[in-house]
Amino acid sequence: MRIGDFKESYATDEAVFTTSTSRFWLGVLFLILALFPFMVGDYLLYMANITGIAIVAALGLNILTGAAGQISLGHAAFVGIGAYTSAILSNRFGMPFLICLPLAGLASAFFGVLVGAPSMRMKGLYLCITTLAAQVIFEFFFVHWESLTGGIRGLNIAPAKIFGLNIGTEFGFYWVTLTVVIIAATVSRNIFRTRVGRAFIAIRDRDISAELMGINLFRYKLYAFAVSSFLAGIAGCLWVNHLKSITPEHFPLHESIRFLAMIIVGGLGNILGAIYGAIFMTLIPEILQAILKFFEEIFPQAMSFLFPLQTVVFGFLIVVFLVFEPHGLAEMWVRVKSYFRLWPFKH
Amino acid sequence: MRSKLLYSMIVALCLTLIAGMSWAGETVKISAQQPITGRFAFAGKHIHQGLADSLAYANEQGGIGGQKIEYIYDDTGYDLKRAVAAFKKVMAKESPVMNYGESTGEGKALAPEINNSYKIVYGSTSFSEELADRSKNPYMFVSGPTYAQQFGILLKYIAANPKTKGKKATVAFFYSDTEFGRDPIPYAREMAKKLGVEVVAEEITKVGAVDISSQILDLKRHNPDYCIFQGYVVPPIPAVIQGARDFGLKTTFMGTFWAMTKMLLGKLGPDGDGYMGVTPYAYWQQSDVPMIKAIQEYGKKHHPDVTYRPQSYMQGWFTGMVFVKLAKMCKEKGLPITGPNLKDMIPQVKDWDTGNFAGKISFKDSNATGVGKVYVAKGGDFVPASDWIYLH
Repeated sequence: MRIGDFKESYATDEAVFTTSTSRFWLGVLFLILALFPFMVGDYLLYMANITGIAIVAALGLNILTGAAGQISLGHAAFVGIGAYTSAILSNRFGMPFLICLPLAGLASAFFGVLVGAPSMRMKGLYLCITTLAAQVIFEFFFVHWESLTGGIRGLNIAPAKIFGLNIGTEFGFYWVTLTVVIIAATVSRNIFRTRVGRAFIAIRDRDISAELMGINLFRYKLYAFAVSSFLAGIAGCLWVNHLKSITPEHFPLHESIRFLAMIIVGGLGNILGAIYGAIFMTLIPEILQAILKFFEEIFPQAMSFLFPLQTVVFGFLIVVFLVFEPHGLAEMWVRVKSYFRLWPFKH
Repeated sequence: MRSKLLYSMIVALCLTLIAGMSWAGETVKISAQQPITGRFAFAGKHIHQGLADSLAYANEQGGIGGQKIEYIYDDTGYDLKRAVAAFKKVMAKESPVMNYGESTGEGKALAPEINNSYKIVYGSTSFSEELADRSKNPYMFVSGPTYAQQFGILLKYIAANPKTKGKKATVAFFYSDTEFGRDPIPYAREMAKKLGVEVVAEEITKVGAVDISSQILDLKRHNPDYCIFQGYVVPPIPAVIQGARDFGLKTTFMGTFWAMTKMLLGKLGPDGDGYMGVTPYAYWQQSDVPMIKAIQEYGKKHHPDVTYRPQSYMQGWFTGMVFVKLAKMCKEKGLPITGPNLKDMIPQVKDWDTGNFAGKISFKDSNATGVGKVYVAKGGDFVPASDWIYLH
């Protein structure tokens, strides 16, 4: 049971994790995450890595769409810009991974600001279409600027190293992904506690009243675009260094929609929501597949019908979540927690 | 007493381990990531069936010198991330010696790890030039001619059969703006120059394009003898052919592997007659080919309700034949069946006679076969228009 939450100093008032219980469980989580790669094989590490990359990208979109209320259909293109920047920098200039990582983010942020510029005059569906245009335009550049992007065949890069340590393996890369996810989540969480983050939320909730309060709408919308695409660029850099190859087909429109689905399923505007959503959207297809494989041993003939059902079940799950819990997975988790807070006493 | 129990437990454990090991040594494991669902399912499910049947058929024929083959597959939904995940999973769980991948993308993504750490032979649905490059990817092979080689075969046919005797044949390339569409074009331009075939037009569209009137008008202006499609499965091919016929063009339209299906002929209807193209494998109805006969008989026995198998099935079947061939070569040489040994066998496949199913196969300069046959559509079916055409 949680007691003694008195907030007697400014430090305790500002803390993210206010009780020793939550700090304890956070410690347990970190311990599990640290032990995880020693206990599992390449397959689960691969799943962990792509989930981690999805989390970073989803955290980015969550700031733009979840917090600042600007819907973006071009998030995959920003991930792509980060990925291409990183690949080009490391192939042409031999830059190490640790320098490519922030530069990939900055390149994406730069283009994010360009795309965000029309948000001065537009909002809602109109802005949504502008970001859709950005997705199409950047995809076009990935395909046709052959001298830079390698055209339709894309680019291959050598396995990355950090201080001479090879991170080209799933095991090595896990530590990179984990570190970046922790930093990205911490930064996202803290942005919401600053003047900038509160301005985002004010803009989302009612832009006119935000402006009346003295928030410069245009500037803060651009900030949101910049931070969001910065994180997307970081995710892109991780993506290309993880897969060691990119083609324009890695960043299609439906990938952008998948990112949107992640933050909606997880819970808009919520850090944990973005994380849960990314995990859910990445793992559920694999879990469904494993369940089907299990049934295959019992009904080998039924597989030709069951395999296509995966997509249907996946879609159905998303609809069910949205109908019964519009605030997403994060809200469900809160309810589970509050149930157990007083457990076994009901009231 | 306790120590006796402990000893017997250890002995039992050792016995199970040894039994397990010898049992594991008995089968040759071949894995596959197949796009059984998703937008490539129309072909993926047939490729999967073809590969499964081919390996089961090889088992019926005695396996690899008495050793049975085990086929392990996963569905990927034609999603790169899931395909890579499935590959890693099967490598961790089963460690197969040969693998069949779902796409060019998967091959490219896995190439560095296959070359450096996994070291297993890798075939795939893709006919991409990049995966057949032996110097870069010695473990990968393409089960047929690459798209570029398919263009080479068609251009060779065109050079030998000009529409007006004594005049250079003219050709147009009609392709989609994708990797699939653009892959062979640079090579095709060069090959055409070498063979003395004039490329008069190149039309590029989006995949599945609807409005193709400007491209048809351009074709009309250049009036090529032949026009080769690349990068499409069905649309917009029927619309282009219909449009060309409406303008009174006498152009002969041609396609490469994926555009050589009965499905396409069905969509073309009466316009289909005279449509040509290249494919590396014999068709289902050619029952004079011994391997097709065997496929039909295998089908009758195990899938009695099946009346037709498309070319994608043949692709799966043929890939199975290559896997079995490589393993048998290892066995004949007395080498253990491991990835690196199997890889060394690929360049040694020379003049392997497939009984008219896929010509005489050699993996000479690249890990692709470089052989195919030109077919022409007549009354809703494809019939051979040439003998096997070899590029090297």
